[in-house]
Amino acid sequence: MSNVQIRGGLAGKILRVDLNSGYIWTEETEKYAQRWIGGRAINSYILFDEMDPKTKWSDPENLLIFGVGSLVGTSPGGCRVSVDTKSVFNNGKGSANVGGHFGAELKYAGFDHVVVTGKAEKPVYLWISDGTAEIRDAKGLWGKTTYETEETLHRELGDKRIRVACIGPAGEKLVKGSIILVDRAKAAGGSGVGCVMGSKNLKALAVRGHGSIRIAEPQAFLGAVDDAQQKVNDSPTSKRIQQETLAGVFYSDERGPSWDLLFVTRNGQDDYWEIEKRKRIMDLKSGAPRYRKKVLACFNCPIGCMPFSEIDEGKFQGTKGEGFWVNTLMSASFLDISDPQAMLKAWLLMNQMGLDGDFTAGMSAWAYECYEKGMLTSEDTDGLHLEWGNSDAFITLIGKLAYREGIGDLLAEGPIEAAKKVGRGSDYFAIHMKGQPSIEPFRIPKGWGLGVATSPVAGRHLRGSILGSSRFGPKGASFEPHLYQDQAKYVYWQGLTKEIEDLTGICVYVGTWSGAHALEVSDYVALLNSTMGLSLSEEELMGVGKQSRNLEKAFNTLHTNLGRQDDYPPRRYMEEPVKSGPYKGYRCEREKWDEMLEEFYELQGWDKKTGLQTRKGLEELEMEDIAKKLEKAYRLINK
Amino acid sequence: MKIVRDPKLCHGCRACELMCSFHHRRAIYPEFSSIRILRDNATGNISWTLERTCDECKGEVQRFCERYCLYKAIKGVVA
Repeated sequence: MSNVQIRGGLAGKILRVDLNSGYIWTEETEKYAQRWIGGRAINSYILFDEMDPKTKWSDPENLLIFGVGSLVGTSPGGCRVSVDTKSVFNNGKGSANVGGHFGAELKYAGFDHVVVTGKAEKPVYLWISDGTAEIRDAKGLWGKTTYETEETLHRELGDKRIRVACIGPAGEKLVKGSIILVDRAKAAGGSGVGCVMGSKNLKALAVRGHGSIRIAEPQAFLGAVDDAQQKVNDSPTSKRIQQETLAGVFYSDERGPSWDLLFVTRNGQDDYWEIEKRKRIMDLKSGAPRYRKKVLACFNCPIGCMPFSEIDEGKFQGTKGEGFWVNTLMSASFLDISDPQAMLKAWLLMNQMGLDGDFTAGMSAWAYECYEKGMLTSEDTDGLHLEWGNSDAFITLIGKLAYREGIGDLLAEGPIEAAKKVGRGSDYFAIHMKGQPSIEPFRIPKGWGLGVATSPVAGRHLRGSILGSSRFGPKGASFEPHLYQDQAKYVYWQGLTKEIEDLTGICVYVGTWSGAHALEVSDYVALLNSTMGLSLSEEELMGVGKQSRNLEKAFNTLHTNLGRQDDYPPRRYMEEPVKSGPYKGYRCEREKWDEMLEEFYELQGWDKKTGLQTRKGLEELEMEDIAKKLEKAYRLINK
Repeated sequence: MKIVRDPKLCHGCRACELMCSFHHRRAIYPEFSSIRILRDNATGNISWTLERTCDECKGEVQRFCERYCLYKAIKGVVA
């Protein structure tokens, strides 16, 4: 779709900030959007085009890019921002995705993307407002929690409509699993993006915009919005999510099927969490839902899935805030913690400290297992008894991790480094994907596992995982989550729709992934065409998704040694079967995994044997420029 | 002029604000919206204001704030 004039939908500018020199400049979004449309795809291209493979994540030259989806600020469900950089876990493609109200505000302030390079001499924050940006001293913010940072910025800048994306103490201390927290509740969680931000001495982005976004075809836009709204109304789950939140809809019934399929417990020792523990944490009268005061929505979201809770009793009385998701529950079961108050407290504390839930739960569970096996003693753990289900110890660990105190310093470096230090075979149960701690299920839901394992960006709950659906999916395939059959087709298809969701900024919960299952690719086409003035077909948009996928893959090929060997589940899940529950005996069988993997590579147009990209595959996608770069590095398969 | 609403149902998504501005400008321009929503992230509280510029969506088939509130928080606008 090159050389098409873009007539709306975008803010129009990309903001460039060099923290070394203090220079700030802008460029037009259009030349990037003509090929990559928006969001993550544009971020990926800038990274691919401008980064030297020799650059490490911690080098000032590493780019940290915030990219707002092209439908954000205009279209229902459009709120997501993609944060892309080099991953702190493997120096390959790092990417995290976040909702909230920040992205829309950035567009009203005139910018679709913010590209940060360099490292400030001392802590700074970026104040972005109505087409301008300023690097400001963050002396008064450094050391503050994310909540305090937002409060301080609101007070000092005198406007509660300012949207803040910031790091907490963990990011400042370069804890690898650090997040960038947006709107005090939503985390850009994966790949250690908050750690990269900390390495640049950048505490926060504060944004306020009073501007507008043009709509290319107003009548068609209204029609597309009406159609989207109708689909949300027709969704079997959207009304329930509005009232009960996403976690509430799928997990308030302790016998619900998702509990059996998706929950890994005790650091991967089993994939079955006992019924009474599920009930304890999610019981409507005494579990986490009991503390729910309100359900809130991201910007322009028609389903609104986020609980705002307040604990009004017990030792955590007075704890309040937004956030309790499905991965809160996955973290709970990974540590065997079923106390709802403690888990709510822990989750909000991680947000305040700027720590990723999956990372913190994963690293903590590894430490718990080391403790269980006698590889760590209470001397090593600063006196903490790391026994399964010990929530007080977990809450204390969160603080230690964020400030790198005692055992926290060991865990802060991530699973590979920590296991190297402890030794004694502890690497076997340091569960990670491409170096990033993983709490995802592999042994039962085969497609979820395949997606997470093959994602170029280290897979996790919003990266690679698939659920499958009777409503949407690839033609001619059937979906049984626990079987190998057709999973490759689903992972391939869902991977493409996720690419499109990340470039448009439409939330997966509104889209094809899970939750409302309301909008689909035809809706994205109608919304893109009417807001931006394009004439895309569904096939063409899927094509951009394929290109975007290949761009990330090529980035990893050039910047890391990651290959086919890294597209497998953690060893434990291939060797140890599930111990209990309805899926007892399930594991990832090598031969069947290989078959699934090779089918997946073939669908992608990648070399079946190595998983690398092929000349033919890239030429079919008109990505000759990318192929050329791979060829120069001897990493292109000549087929 | 005031909005008839059920604050308990409002999720603070600002769809009403966005579509109101679309009614006025045929672009997305929240500053020109007649309805303004402010969400306090610390408390989860949502406050609403209605400006005098509200013309009850003159020329549209239905009031946009009502039509595009999927939470049914907005019941209408009365003079």
